[in-house]
Amino acid sequence: MSTNYLDWAASAPPFTEIIASSAELASSVFGNPSSLHSSGREALNLLETARNSLAASIGARPGHTIFTSGGTESDAIAMLSSLGLKSDKSIIISAVEHAAIEEQARFLEGAGIKVYRIRPGADGIVDPMAIADAIRSDTVLISVMAVNNETGAIQAIREIADAIHKAAREFIRKPFFHCDAVQALGKIPFAADVSGVDSAAFSAHKFGGPRGIGALYIRTQLQPIVRGGGQERGIRPGTQNTAGAWAMAKAAEKSQEFSTAWHEKALVLEKILLDGVKAIPGAVSIPVSRVPGDIRYSPFIASVAFPGLGGETMARILDDEGILVSTGSACSGKAKGRRVLEAMGVTPELSFSSIRVSTGRDTTQENINNFLEHAATAYRKYKT
Amino acid sequence: MNAENDPELDTLYLIKTGEIKLKEGNKALFEGILKADIKKRLSGVHCALYHREGRYYLLASGRDAEKVEFVLSRMPGVNAWAIAYRAPKTMDRVTAAAFLALASPLAAGATSFKVEARRSDKSFQLDSYAIARTLGESILEKYPQLRVDVHTPHTTVNVEIRDKAYVYCDGIPGVRGLPVGSGGKGLLLLSGGIDSPVAGYKMLCRGLALEALHFTSYPYTSKEAWEKVRELGTILASYTGGLILHTVNITDIQLRIKKEAPSEKSTLYLRACMMMIADSLARQRNLKALITGESLGQVASQTAENMRFTGSYTDYPILRPLVGTDKEETIQIARKIGTYEVSIKPYEDCCVLFAAKHPLIKADFEPEKVMFSAMDLRKDVEDVVRTTESITLPFMFRPRQEP
Repeated sequence: MSTNYLDWAASAPPFTEIIASSAELASSVFGNPSSLHSSGREALNLLETARNSLAASIGARPGHTIFTSGGTESDAIAMLSSLGLKSDKSIIISAVEHAAIEEQARFLEGAGIKVYRIRPGADGIVDPMAIADAIRSDTVLISVMAVNNETGAIQAIREIADAIHKAAREFIRKPFFHCDAVQALGKIPFAADVSGVDSAAFSAHKFGGPRGIGALYIRTQLQPIVRGGGQERGIRPGTQNTAGAWAMAKAAEKSQEFSTAWHEKALVLEKILLDGVKAIPGAVSIPVSRVPGDIRYSPFIASVAFPGLGGETMARILDDEGILVSTGSACSGKAKGRRVLEAMGVTPELSFSSIRVSTGRDTTQENINNFLEHAATAYRKYKT
Repeated sequence: MNAENDPELDTLYLIKTGEIKLKEGNKALFEGILKADIKKRLSGVHCALYHREGRYYLLASGRDAEKVEFVLSRMPGVNAWAIAYRAPKTMDRVTAAAFLALASPLAAGATSFKVEARRSDKSFQLDSYAIARTLGESILEKYPQLRVDVHTPHTTVNVEIRDKAYVYCDGIPGVRGLPVGSGGKGLLLLSGGIDSPVAGYKMLCRGLALEALHFTSYPYTSKEAWEKVRELGTILASYTGGLILHTVNITDIQLRIKKEAPSEKSTLYLRACMMMIADSLARQRNLKALITGESLGQVASQTAENMRFTGSYTDYPILRPLVGTDKEETIQIARKIGTYEVSIKPYEDCCVLFAAKHPLIKADFEPEKVMFSAMDLRKDVEDVVRTTESITLPFMFRPRQEP
C-alpha cells in the first residue's frame, strides 16, 4: 500500500539531496564558527552564506536573520523577552495561535503578565482593528500568526502592523509585534521587511529542510532570556548548527524558486478537495463559508469535518488505507486540541469531527481524489 | 550430580504454601499442580525444586535471583518465601547460618529481633525453646547493637530443624490462594479499565486459570487502546503463567444497536451481546466460568436488575469478585499487582459517540427480554465471534523498572 501523505503542515517530506549534503557538511565543516582559525573561518563562511541566502528568501536583511533551533524557540525568544522589561505590562495575542505562542502566553500569565486574547471571526480571521483597540499603555508585545496551522486562515499581518502603529501613537511605547510565520514560508508570499512586524518565526522542516533548525527575523534588539557566548547577536547564544543552517537556507531557496508553481497547483488541489468534501452528504469545510480560491486561506491547509464521526476515528480509518491526515480532537469527550476551532465559534460537535488535510509540493490530484473516495466510504459506514 | 551439591546452585529458597496444606484427600493433586507450575515458569533457569514435609525448597544460582524472586512473588498457592541457609544439625552450624541470614536485615538497619524455632526432628538435642534461647544469646553476643523484642521485632530469625537445619529471616509474602488451574479455567472479560484486571487477579488467586476476552470497537477506539489491554494481559500472565487473549470487534453490533435501539438501552443491549459472545467463546474453548469486573452500583449498567438481564444470556456462572468491593480497595490491589499505571493510560475503550447521556438503570426483566429478542442479534453475535483474533501472552520475566 503506497502512502498518501496529506499532513504537510505537520512536517514536509524533506528534500532528500539537501538532507544528504547537509549530513556531509556536518562532518566536513565541523569547526566552531566562533573560532578564529581556518576551520572556524570555514564554518563561519558557510553560516554567513546560509544567512545571506535565507535572508533573501524571507525578505530580510542578513543582519536581521537569526538562526534558532526551530519555530517554538523562535516564538519563545520573542515572547519571553517581555519578561525582561520592568514596569507593568500586558500582551495581546490572537486566540488561534499555535501552542508555541499560546503556552508561552500562559506561562507569562503565571509570571504576572496580563494576556489579552483576541478572537477571530467565524471565518477564523482576526480583525486588525480588534487588535488595535486592545492596545493599552502597558502593552509590550503583540503576537499574531501569519497562517493558521489548523484552518489555513491567513491573517492580515501588514494591516495589523499598520493598525498597531496608528493606535500606538497615543501611547509612549509602541508594542513589539511578533508573527509566527511557520506555515507561511514557501507557501504564501511573506516578506519580513515589508510585513511591518518586529520579529517573525520560521521552521525549516515545514518546507523540506531538516528538524532542529529554524530562524527568527528580528529588526530590533530585545532582551533574551537565555544568555551565553553572544552568538547570533546574543539573541540566540550557543554554537550554531552550521550544516542545519545551510540546509534550511537551501530548502527555503528551493521553496521560493518554485513557490508560484506550487501555489498554483495547491489552488487546483484545494478546489478539488473543498468541492469534493461538499459533495459528500453531511460533510463540511471549517469554516463552512470557505470556498476554493479564497485568498484569505492558504490553499495548502484545509480543515474539514464529518459530523457524527470523530475526527480521530476518521484519521484512523484513513491511516489504515495509507492516507495520513491529522486531527486536533480526541475521541474522549475532553476539551483537548479544540481551542482554535472553538475560538472561531465552531460547535463542539463539529470540531470533534474535524480533520486537517494539508498538501505540499508532491501532492497530486490523485492523492486528493483517493482521500475523498475513502473519506466518503468511511463516513457512510461509520457515521453515528 | 546431586543438585544439593551443585556449586552453582548457591541460593536456597524456602517456599511456604498455605491453603494447600488444609486440603485433605486431593492434597497431592494441588501440590503436583504447584510444583509443575513453578518448574514451568522457571524453565530456562538452572535450578532444582524439591518437596519435603509440606515445604518446597528451590535451589538456584544467585545470578538468577531476580528471576526466581519474580516467579515466587507471583505464584498463586505460595504464601511466602524466603532465602534460607542450610546447615548440619548442630547448634554451632545453626548459629553460623543465623549470622548469614541476619546480614540482610542488619544492612537494612534492624535493631531488634526474635528467634522462632521449630523442631520436626524430635531427636535434635535441644527443644524449640532451648534452641531459641541459645541462639538468641549467641546473636546478642555477636551483635551488641541488637536487642530482643518478642512483640514487634524488626526481624525474626526462623530456625527449622527438619532433615537438616534451615535458618531464614523474614519471609516475603506471596500472592497466597491456590495453584493456578486447580479451579479449572475461566474467561475473563477484560477491558482497559481498572476493575477487570483486578477481577482476573482475584480469581486466579483462587486457582482459576484464565483466558481473556477483549471487545474492541476499532476504528472508534484506537490501536493504542488495544495495546494497553495486551499490556494488562501480559501482567496477568505473570501471575497465571501465561494467558490467551481473544479480541472480538463489536463495532458492527454497536452500530446496529445505535441505529435500531432506543439510545438509553444501547449500553444494556451491548452488554447482553457481550455475554452472548463470551458464552459462545467459553463453549468453544471448553471454559468453566465467566469473570467480570462489575461492582454493584458503580456505573449505571452495574445494578442488580441489569446484571440479571445481561446474566440471562449465558448459563455459565458469572464470577464477579469485585461485586462488593469499593473502588478504593480495587485501586489498591491494582497498584499492588502493577495494572493500575497501565489502566489509567488515556486510551478510551469506548467512543463517546456511543454513550447515552442517561442510560437505563433498572431493566424491567420480562418486557426488556422481549424487546431485546425482537432485535434478534443472534446472527450478528455469531458473525463477530467468527472474527475472533486470539494471541498467546506467554509468562514473561519483566525486570524491575527503575522508579
